[in-house]
Amino acid sequence: MPTSTRVLFPRMPRGPRQERRYLERPRQQGLLQRAIVEAFRKLDPRLAVANPVMFVVWCGTVLCLALTIEPRLLDAAAGARDRSFNALISLTLLATLLFANFAEALAEGRGKAQADALRRTQARTQARRQLPDGSIDLVDSSALRRGDVVLVQGGDVIPADGEVIAGVASVDESAITGESAPVLKEAGSDVAGSVTGGTRILSDQLTLRISADPGKGFIDRMIALVEGAERSKTPNEIALTVLLAVLTQVFLIAVATLSPVAGFLQKPPSVVTLVALLVALIPTTIGGLLSAIGIAGMDRVAQFNVIATSGRAVEACGDVNTLVLDKTGTITLGNRLAEEFLPVGGYSSAELAVVAYGASCFDQTPEGRSIVRLAEKLGAALPFEPASASGIDFSARTRMSGSDSPDGIEFRKGAVDAIKGFVRSRGGVVPDQLDQCFEQVSRLGGTPLAVCRGAEVYGVIYLKDIIKPGIRERFDQLRRMGIRTVMLTGDNPITAGVIAREAGVDDFIAEATPEDKIAVIQQEQKLGKLVAMTGDGSNDAPALAQANVGVAMNSGTQAAKEAANMVDLDSDPTKLIDIVTIGKQLLITRGALTTFSIANDIAKYFAILPALFAGVGLQALNVMRLASPQSAILSAMVFNALIIPALVPLALKGVKFRPLSAEQLLRRNLLVYGAGGVVAPFIGIKLIDLAIGALRLI
Amino acid sequence: MMTRLLHIRFWLPLLIVAGTLVLAPLFRSAQPPLQSYALALLLCCTAAISVYLFAVIAQPEKF
Repeated sequence: MPTSTRVLFPRMPRGPRQERRYLERPRQQGLLQRAIVEAFRKLDPRLAVANPVMFVVWCGTVLCLALTIEPRLLDAAAGARDRSFNALISLTLLATLLFANFAEALAEGRGKAQADALRRTQARTQARRQLPDGSIDLVDSSALRRGDVVLVQGGDVIPADGEVIAGVASVDESAITGESAPVLKEAGSDVAGSVTGGTRILSDQLTLRISADPGKGFIDRMIALVEGAERSKTPNEIALTVLLAVLTQVFLIAVATLSPVAGFLQKPPSVVTLVALLVALIPTTIGGLLSAIGIAGMDRVAQFNVIATSGRAVEACGDVNTLVLDKTGTITLGNRLAEEFLPVGGYSSAELAVVAYGASCFDQTPEGRSIVRLAEKLGAALPFEPASASGIDFSARTRMSGSDSPDGIEFRKGAVDAIKGFVRSRGGVVPDQLDQCFEQVSRLGGTPLAVCRGAEVYGVIYLKDIIKPGIRERFDQLRRMGIRTVMLTGDNPITAGVIAREAGVDDFIAEATPEDKIAVIQQEQKLGKLVAMTGDGSNDAPALAQANVGVAMNSGTQAAKEAANMVDLDSDPTKLIDIVTIGKQLLITRGALTTFSIANDIAKYFAILPALFAGVGLQALNVMRLASPQSAILSAMVFNALIIPALVPLALKGVKFRPLSAEQLLRRNLLVYGAGGVVAPFIGIKLIDLAIGALRLI
Repeated sequence: MMTRLLHIRFWLPLLIVAGTLVLAPLFRSAQPPLQSYALALLLCCTAAISVYLFAVIAQPEKF
C-alpha cells in the first residue's frame, strides 16, 4: 500500500552543514527564480509605497533615471559627462531596490511554497457517508458537512477533519507533519481522537464525525495563515517602521535644505549627489530587510512544524517571561507505567491487583493499560464480566476513574485525596498506612494512585515518571535568558516537588485543575509578564486563549486548536521551549541588523560629505583617501546596495541564538553589529573605490 | 464618483501639478523655463514624500 512520506516542513537544521542546506533549499525548489521575478514585480509603486525607506529610494531612482535621460533637466550647465555618472548611480539605486525586493520575495516564497504543498494534500476524494438509517452513501469529500458521519478504512485518504467516534486505527500524518511514523487514533481519547483531512488511514477502520465544513478545515486555515501571515505587521515591526520613517524624514529635510546652504558657498552639489547622500544616510539596510526578517521568523517556526496564526504570536514568543508547562509529556515522558502494587489495610498484593484490574479495565490510557498488564503479570483476573459492567471516565474534577460492576460494586482508582473522599462518602475508613504508601511513592518522584473497592481502600499503585533527558539543561538555559518556568501537574505536592527539583523548574503547582492553569496565567500577567503555555485537551482551551502564546497540539481537540495562536503539527509539548528561542532569535536579528544599518551611516557620511563639498576645503574629511568625489559617491552607493544581499542569509537564518540575559545580549550586539557596522563599510567602500579606479568606470 | 474624488491617487497628482505651476515662477529669474518647472516639480514631490513620511509616522499600521 503506498504511503506518503513527503516532508512539507523539514526539521530545523542543527549543524553548519544542515544550515547550509537550509539556505540552499529555496534554490532546489525553484524559489530563487520566483523571487527574482517577484523582485521586479515589487518595483510597482503601489507595492513599493508600503515600505517608507525603500519608497524614498524608489523616488530617488526615478529622479536619477530622469536625469540620466536628460542631464540638463535641473541644471542647464550639466554635460554629457554627467550622464554616465547619473546612469551608474541610477543602476546602483535600482540594484538596491531589487536586492531589497528579492530578500522580501525570497522570504515570502518559502511561505507560499508551504501553502502550495499543503494545497496538494487537499485532493478531493470519495467518502463513505453514513446515513441516519445506517446505510452508506458514496459522496465527494467536498459534499461533506459538519456533523456528517463517515467511515474510513485502511488505505483511504481521510476526506475532512473529524473526531473519531468509533474504532482504532493507525494514521499516516506525514502529509502534514513530515513524520513518517504512523499515529494511533482511537475514539474517546482527547489527544488521539481527532483526525485531519488529507492524512491517510493505514489499517483498520474508523468512524468519524466531520468537524469542519468544506474550506474551513485545518489545512485550509493553515494555508490562509501561511499565506496571509506576512501581511499584518507585528507591534515591534510597527515601532521599528516609525523609527525608520522618522530617521528618513529627518535626513530628507536635512538633505533637501543642504542645496540652498551650499548655494552660499557658490558650490551647489548636483541633485544626483544629493540623492546619493540621502540614500546613504537613510537606513536602507534594515529598511530593505525588515519584512524579510519577520517573514523568515514565521518560516523558521514552520520549519519546526509549528503553524503560527500571526507574526505577532511568533514575536510575542521572544518577549515571553514565564513558561507554564504541563508535567506529563513536557517534563516527563508521556507514558507513566505501573511499577508496583503497594497494598494497605491487610490486603495482599494479589488482592490489590484484582481490584486495580477491575478499576482499570475500561481505562485505555497508557497508564491504565500498564496497570492491567502488571495485574495480569501477577496472575490477577477481572472480578466481573466486562460486557455487563460500565466504565467511569477520568475527569479533572473528580480526579479518579474506574468501573461499576453488574452487582453494583464500585471499583475506583485515582488521586489519594480523591479516593479518601470517595471512601469516606460511602462510610468507609481510610487506613493510616495509605498515607505512608503515598509519601513513599511521592518521595521517589512517582505518582501514587489509590485503589478502592466500594468503601474499602486496597492500596496504592506506584506509577513511575521518567524525566526527559536534557530537560534540566534546557531550563537552565531559559533561566539564564530570564524566563521563569512553572510546572503544572495533577500530582500531589510531594511528587510534584521531587520532579520539580529533579527537572530544575522554578516553581510548580500541584494538584492543578484547569481553573488553576488560568489562575496562574492571570497572576503572571497581572505582574506584567508574558506567558506561554501548551495544551491539547478541550479543558486547556480557556488557558490557551488566556496565555499570550498558546501552543496547541495537532493531536488535540478542535477547541484547543482554535483557542491557541500556534499549532504544533508534531504534538510535542517540549517544542514550546524551541518556539520561545525562535521568537527571541527573531527579535535579536531585527535588533542586530538595525544596529548594523545605523552604524553604517558613519562610513558613508565620511565618503559622501567630502565629495559633496570637494571644492570648499573639506578634503580633511576624506579619511578613506577615496580617488575622486564621483568615485567616492559611487563606492558608497555600491556598498549600500551590496550589503543587502550580503545580509539576506543572516536575515533569513537569524542571528545565532545564545542563551544570554538582555544586558549581555545588548552588550554583545553593540560590540559585534555596532562596531562591525562602523568598521565594515570603511573597508568595503575603500575596496570598491579601488575596484572602480582599476576598472576605470569613472 | 465621490469615492474616486476622495482617493489620494486622484488629488495628489493634481496638487503636485498645481504646486509646480505656482512655484515655477519663483525659479524663473535664475533658470530657463524647463529647469524652473523641473525644480518646482522636484520641490513639490519632495514635499509630498515628506507628507507621506509623516503619514507613515502617524499611522504605521496602514503601511
